[in-house]
Amino acid sequence: MDSVDAVFVPPAAAWMPVSRKLATARRITLSLGYILVAVGGGVIAWSPLPRWWLVGYLIAAVVVYVWAWWVIGRRVAAYGYAERADDLIVVSGILVRRLVIVPYGRMQMVDLRAGPIDRWLGIATVQLHTAAATTDAAIPGLTPLEAAALRDRLAARGEARSAGL
Amino acid sequence: MTDPRRTHALTPLIQAVPAFPVAFVFLLGPGRELIASRGLGVIALTLGGALLGYLGLAAVSWLLWSRRTFWIDTDGDLRVDSGVVERSSRRLQLSRLQSVDIVAPFLARLAGLVEVRVEVAGTSGSHVVLRYLSRADADLLRRMILEFARRTADDVAPEEEPWVNEPDLLASVPQGRLMGSLLLRSVTATLLLLSVLLLVFTAATQGGAGLVLVLITGGLPILSVVGEFLSNYGFRVDRSREGLRIRQGLLSTKTRTIPAERVHAVAVVSPLLWRRRGWVRVTVTIAGVEGDASRSGPEVLIPVAPRAEALALIAEVLPSVDVEALPFVRAPRASRWRSPFAWRALAVAITPDVIAARYGRMTATTAIAPHSHVQSVRVTQGAWERRLGLASLHADTAPGPVHVVARHLDQALVRPLADQEIALVHRVRRMP
Repeated sequence: MDSVDAVFVPPAAAWMPVSRKLATARRITLSLGYILVAVGGGVIAWSPLPRWWLVGYLIAAVVVYVWAWWVIGRRVAAYGYAERADDLIVVSGILVRRLVIVPYGRMQMVDLRAGPIDRWLGIATVQLHTAAATTDAAIPGLTPLEAAALRDRLAARGEARSAGL
Repeated sequence: MTDPRRTHALTPLIQAVPAFPVAFVFLLGPGRELIASRGLGVIALTLGGALLGYLGLAAVSWLLWSRRTFWIDTDGDLRVDSGVVERSSRRLQLSRLQSVDIVAPFLARLAGLVEVRVEVAGTSGSHVVLRYLSRADADLLRRMILEFARRTADDVAPEEEPWVNEPDLLASVPQGRLMGSLLLRSVTATLLLLSVLLLVFTAATQGGAGLVLVLITGGLPILSVVGEFLSNYGFRVDRSREGLRIRQGLLSTKTRTIPAERVHAVAVVSPLLWRRRGWVRVTVTIAGVEGDASRSGPEVLIPVAPRAEALALIAEVLPSVDVEALPFVRAPRASRWRSPFAWRALAVAITPDVIAARYGRMTATTAIAPHSHVQSVRVTQGAWERRLGLASLHADTAPGPVHVVARHLDQALVRPLADQEIALVHRVRRMP
């Protein structure tokens, strides 16, 4: 392990990973976005622009798609969380790496949410809110059972240790 | 108990004064051409109209004044009856008194009058302004209200009388320093300098286009300076039992109280042009009053003060902190590649009570948050930081002007610092 990873080293055992289904969900979203890209390609094909415009456009679109596909995989793999005795730690990000430590006593609210694609794949996001708007602690890609259990555990601990403002 | 009485008889005359500026605006604006074509008659007509408007307004005001009475009733409540067509009767329970303030608005002060503001605990209808009273009457009323509050609030122990607040001045801002501090802001100074250059240039070339530009480059900073001067005029901070009491304003006076425990974070800000004079500004993050976000309080503890005076104020809200003796750990030399100007300022300090971060070269800032108000701790590392072996530490606090962010520290230090901070957050929280 080099010194870079030492900054984001897990507390005791290892980070709890999130479900790979999160990558699938994000790739589906990416692909849906590509419907618009395809429409753009159609417009170029129909327009009197030279043929090489279309070729360049398609190459660029494919390169971006492959790159985004790969980034999504790495970004999902970078998510991790750990429940400690008094706080929750979440790590995320690859280009900009983030680690946030939230004491249970400071949680004001725990959110559980899932969009249509998430529900279809069977994943959900647990988000923690504190009095600070900058607290950026969300754990996406949990199975609904995991998510509900985590939310209930966090809420119970928050209540037990609540210090208010 | 007192007999019902009215406010001072000059009240209607003062309240009607705003009728005059309307006439002046007319004379300077649309009326100008009329004066040019019709002469002095228009001026006389306008002034006559203004006088008529003034008398009309004064008459209405007199009618309202004559029907408005206030007294303290047998239950020890402050009662205010008012209204001509529709009578209204307000009743403030003095046993729930929060504050009695005597404020002297501009026009009233010219006539030697003041207004009395009474506030009791509660959300709506908990505030009454009696305008205007003579100074002596106001002092008497204030004493009586305090006396009645003392008598009726039998559930409060005598030594805990929150309304016995003899003002205890901690800091005030002289007008000269306030004006100087407003002019010595980088943007203002630059714009004013630019305006002078433009004026010289315009005069030299005799071009007219420059003048329009001068209106903008000169007018905007003057407007902002005048606005801030009026709102911060007479700024003073007093110590009271509920916390720091802040008063400010020339045309309208604002009074706020900051309870020390509601201060979530404090920042000492020192803009570049103030540094030779040793001036600083202190901003604070205050948690919103429950259920009323608009009353989240002032964000400036003092707009400009010598450093020592500012630090003494901070000691009032964070008694355990010595800002000058914070054990700062500075960012490593490598951070100059990421932040070439400010890197020497970047530093973090953790004491048993607070976490502090220093940043900014143009606007040198020291941000301090007590562990008891830190909501979460974050570590971030961008790609460029990672290449340089740096990382940043954030202590998240309630939303406000203060951000405790220690940027571009040695990455080997950041995680131990984050763990240390979170341990301190847990520790202060476990204390009762």
